[in-house]
Amino acid sequence: MNWQAWKRHAGRMLAMTLVGLITIPSQAISDEVEATDQAPAHEAIVVGTPARIEVFPAQFKLAAPGRQMHLIVTGHYADGSVQNLTSVAQVVSQDDKVAAVEGAVVHPAGNGATGIIVSVGGHEQNVSVEVCNQETADPVSFQYGTLAVLSKQGCNMGACHGSPSGKGGFRMSLRAYDPVLDIETLVREAFNRRTNLYEPEASLLLRKPLMEVAHGGGRRLKKSDPGYAVLRDWIEQGCQVDPADAPTCTTLEVYPTERILMRPAHTQQVVALAHFSDGSVRDVTALACFSSSDEAVATVDDDGLVTGLDRGEAAILVRFLDKIETSSMMFLKQVPGFHWNSPPENNFVDHHAFKKLEQLQILPSELCTDEEFVRRVYLDVIGILPEPAETAAFLADADPNKRARLVDQLLERPEFAQFWALKWGDLLRIRNAKVTVGGVHKFQRWLVAAFRDNMPYDQFARDLLTATGSTFENPPANYYRTATETNDCTETTSQLFLGIRIQCAKCHNHPFERWSQDNYYGIGAFFNRVQRKPGVNPEEQVIWVARAGEVTQPRTGQQMQPWLPLTGTAELAGEGDRREALVEWLVKPDNPFFAKVEVNRIWGHLFGRGIVEPVDDFRDSNPPSSASLLSSLADDFANNGYDRRRVMRNILNSRTYQLSSRKNEFNADDVKYFSHANTRLLSAEQLLDAICRVTGVAEKFAGLPSGTRATQLPSPDVDIEFLKVFGQPARETACACERSSDSNLSQALQMINGPLVHGKVRDENNRLRAQATAGKTDEQIVDELYLAALCRHASEAEMATATAHIANAGDRMRGLEDVCWALLNANEFLFQH
Amino acid sequence: MSHSRILNVALVGLLLTAHAAGALGQDAPAPVSFTKDVAPIFLKHCAACHGPPEVNGGYQVTTYALLMKPGETELPAITAGSPDESEVFNLISMDDADLRMPKEADPLTAEQVGVIKRWIDEGAKFDGEDANAALASIVPTTTQPDPPQAYRRPVPTTALAFSPDGSEVAASGYHEVTIWNAADGQLARRIKNVAQRVYSVAYNADGSLLAVAGGVPGQLGEVKLFNPVDGTLVKEFPPAADVVYRAVFNPAGTKLATGGADRAIRIYDVASGNEEVLIEDHADWVVGLAWSPDGAKLASASRDKTSKLFNAANGESLVTYSGHGEAVFDVGFSGDAALAFSAGADKKVHAWNPEDAAKKGEYGGFGRDVLALATADDKILSCSADNTVRQHRVEGFKEFKKYEGLTDAAYAIAFHPASGRVAAGSFAGEIRIWNAEDGATITTFIAAPGYSAEVAAK
Repeated sequence: MNWQAWKRHAGRMLAMTLVGLITIPSQAISDEVEATDQAPAHEAIVVGTPARIEVFPAQFKLAAPGRQMHLIVTGHYADGSVQNLTSVAQVVSQDDKVAAVEGAVVHPAGNGATGIIVSVGGHEQNVSVEVCNQETADPVSFQYGTLAVLSKQGCNMGACHGSPSGKGGFRMSLRAYDPVLDIETLVREAFNRRTNLYEPEASLLLRKPLMEVAHGGGRRLKKSDPGYAVLRDWIEQGCQVDPADAPTCTTLEVYPTERILMRPAHTQQVVALAHFSDGSVRDVTALACFSSSDEAVATVDDDGLVTGLDRGEAAILVRFLDKIETSSMMFLKQVPGFHWNSPPENNFVDHHAFKKLEQLQILPSELCTDEEFVRRVYLDVIGILPEPAETAAFLADADPNKRARLVDQLLERPEFAQFWALKWGDLLRIRNAKVTVGGVHKFQRWLVAAFRDNMPYDQFARDLLTATGSTFENPPANYYRTATETNDCTETTSQLFLGIRIQCAKCHNHPFERWSQDNYYGIGAFFNRVQRKPGVNPEEQVIWVARAGEVTQPRTGQQMQPWLPLTGTAELAGEGDRREALVEWLVKPDNPFFAKVEVNRIWGHLFGRGIVEPVDDFRDSNPPSSASLLSSLADDFANNGYDRRRVMRNILNSRTYQLSSRKNEFNADDVKYFSHANTRLLSAEQLLDAICRVTGVAEKFAGLPSGTRATQLPSPDVDIEFLKVFGQPARETACACERSSDSNLSQALQMINGPLVHGKVRDENNRLRAQATAGKTDEQIVDELYLAALCRHASEAEMATATAHIANAGDRMRGLEDVCWALLNANEFLFQH
Repeated sequence: MSHSRILNVALVGLLLTAHAAGALGQDAPAPVSFTKDVAPIFLKHCAACHGPPEVNGGYQVTTYALLMKPGETELPAITAGSPDESEVFNLISMDDADLRMPKEADPLTAEQVGVIKRWIDEGAKFDGEDANAALASIVPTTTQPDPPQAYRRPVPTTALAFSPDGSEVAASGYHEVTIWNAADGQLARRIKNVAQRVYSVAYNADGSLLAVAGGVPGQLGEVKLFNPVDGTLVKEFPPAADVVYRAVFNPAGTKLATGGADRAIRIYDVASGNEEVLIEDHADWVVGLAWSPDGAKLASASRDKTSKLFNAANGESLVTYSGHGEAVFDVGFSGDAALAFSAGADKKVHAWNPEDAAKKGEYGGFGRDVLALATADDKILSCSADNTVRQHRVEGFKEFKKYEGLTDAAYAIAFHPASGRVAAGSFAGEIRIWNAEDGATITTFIAAPGYSAEVAAK
């Protein structure tokens, strides 16, 4: 068929799909969900009758002029619920000469001690305040005043003057990570252009953000902002830097750290308290930056007032210079007509998943059908579709335990090990250019064996991370071949085994996370002694470890000690291989990252979305959708020998995994709590194998044994256009995100009239011709194609349309090809559901 | 509804009263002048948001021609004779504070609104020379505020120059130039009517003129010529939109070259005041300028990381030196014109061939940016943000002498070969004068009249 003819053919086929040859369960594959619950509600706070009230802080000190304290008033009710009553409570100072009250904020007035009476809902609390040192004002701190304000106003954010080249010729360090650079830029650079020591108000640093002088960044400051006075006073005081012995901020405290609010309650004031090395505690709410992890659920304003918009959870991120803390908020509401139907719990996975759904009033979908299950579990566990005979046998099986039996069988199949080796091959960047052709095969065989033998995950990590020797004799040593230098080792290891994307901290403190530049190079200190040299074979490399060698932090020039996240500096003997110590820490069952990251990765693979999503991006500002689900899976994993098959079995046997993708009115807008199966396009390799399965025509890959499937490829070096179009990663990075799941026009063209699909549909030895040759009827062949492509029998209507089309096609083979082609282009085939 | 109508009636009453009061005055008032009365209002209250970089609502007030054009709404911005059909008037005079211009700022005073209304009523005419000239360049010049009588704190010294006879040093002040006796650091005179910042002072060869350049950061560039002896203003050049960093006379004293934050280099004829050459070749601020010894070429230093050489007669670009790879702050020539020197943020002074911009050598040892140069014959002096002043030999590119004592970033340097004096000024406002022969300090003082550390401490 020439191109013109094929185009006509394609057009005809498309029309056929449209007229309904294929009945697609449209709801099952639709991701379009109407938002129903988005509008913010501004009900006035109904105080009701709290059982008691609580005021935070219970007592405090204002130890310098200008310090202040936000009070948070919380009502506790008999039913266990709480409500923020700060804005409606009466707050009165017992002595205005000592402390003055404005709203719920207490300001110092004069030295002394007094009480602040807070009353609301028939309750009263007395908060004691001590005011001292009012006679001498502290000079404005450069670090904790000026730089905090410039951060709060957004001046030094990445899109503005914090970008590496600055904006408008004015560059500050991103989120003030480098005060030494900033003092230079603000004061001495450009011949003192930006600050005016003689007339502080005339400073460009103030006039630009006020928009008194044209400013590309627009208006960023008002004279009424607390930050204006800080900046002006700092300039007036001579643009001083902090003395070397000035107290430093040691920790940031956020209150409340977590809160569950049931509508009508849906607002919460959050305060930020900075603890300093001199023991003082300062309310820095006005200088801290607030952001919400999910703006659709809750927003937070510059003053730390959180407003819930929808059912769900959001982490409120509070940043004060390099200190970051979060406040976890959950917003609930009574959904009209909602009734929890207590679906059966197959195991602890369901227990945790359903508990969250019940709390959020989201009703899970029904159990999926056997047809849906068999297709889903084959694709997820071994990457390929079942043969029609396998499907038919499963559907016919009357054993009530057949799903669990199938799970057990699939986990033992050789394709399982090969499919999961493909997944890890991506993460370990196995490709010719990185580890040579010979290296690819050796490394892939090691990976396949690890999955086949169910190598415990701690052993798996240890083999990779502590590898030495020849990359040919000891394939895991390729870990240090693909990671060619210390920084690559730091970033790869952090992302793969800790779920931390630490790359940002290479050049500056992480802008959204707690990781600092020191941390980055502290992790590097575990890897910098790893050395690489050529082996005997020209393709081979030998990994060895030098006895000594230290990492220098490039900005400060300091030599870094090995450092472990949330643990701190590791005390290690001067010489030797430090990687052992890293692995010892990593694989301890109580390690807060290791087990969670892997169970989340497995979950993400099986559900198309991690409990933490993206699966390798664990951070305070990206909380898990169910912390208890994640930790219960991780605990079970860590306490049972890091058995990955056990994790998969637990998940696959859960009702949560086996829920239908068809939604109900109570879970239609849920995307992250696993109340229904998540429809998604098959991966590139799954799709190619599925096309081969349906047509019965295998794909040949140059240099690989015939019969090799796409889901068994050792590396992407086969260079198949179809695979690239559907998102096969080039394995350049260790990020799971490199595998693209975006859909695009090229994909549609590949499916509608691409040479690969066309060739297989027309192949002289394909399934439909073999069936015809074997004397099968149209009905039998159509049913076989349905079973192969969709793991179900054709419905009566579908069968009638298909056979009528074949009868009218003029040429039986053309008619059968049309049906086969239409099936391959059906969403029900293209999607996992 | 009724509430707002009452307000409107009250407002009309006020306007009528004002109008009546005007009518009661002697003769009909003089027509409103765009350049004198209207342009200053646009410049002060509108230009920040309606002129590059911000062009909100697609409306610009950068020039008369632009401010007459409609913005995105396509409603007429100004309709001569008809304020009600002029969007500008409607927006500045409306009651609704959310919609009224200037946005998020205090409203214009009734007097200002009245001026604009009358100007439109009278035909919205332009009374300047060039309708496409920047408003900043056509508004009447104003006398600058007086400097502090006695400084309560020092200000950074950003400009320095020896008088041709070496007896005096001119330095930057706040709204002034201060002139000091070079031998003992005693204040000789103060020259006022100068913009907030002074970034450059330069004497012509016979000492009859002092060129002063500076301005207000982000707002104004000013270049003025003063009689350095009696402090009278001799000439004022058109203002620029941002500060002018450098103004230098050619060796003959007939031309003045300026460069600044508007990225432009201009060469004026000193006698006539005419702009003869405009060079817009740099992509960022022009911070330093130097004439070749024969006055035929002009060298520039820019924050765009290049130093360039131009034909001073026609502005043609001759060569570009890009060797610093960082911002360049100043340029100079050797006495025989065989070498050009440039100083930059790469903490080095480079020597290069003015013919082909080939690098000939570099002078290092600095801890931070090298901010200014002073060259004479075979001597290269430079000052740095590392607080030091250094002297290098052209031969061998070796450091020859270090002048010590400044305690903060050294912004400005001057050298008087005949008297053998070197002067440098710092961020802290200290001027230090050394004997070039032995490097000994001759005098040091804070260039802030009336300032004393004891007073400041109180």
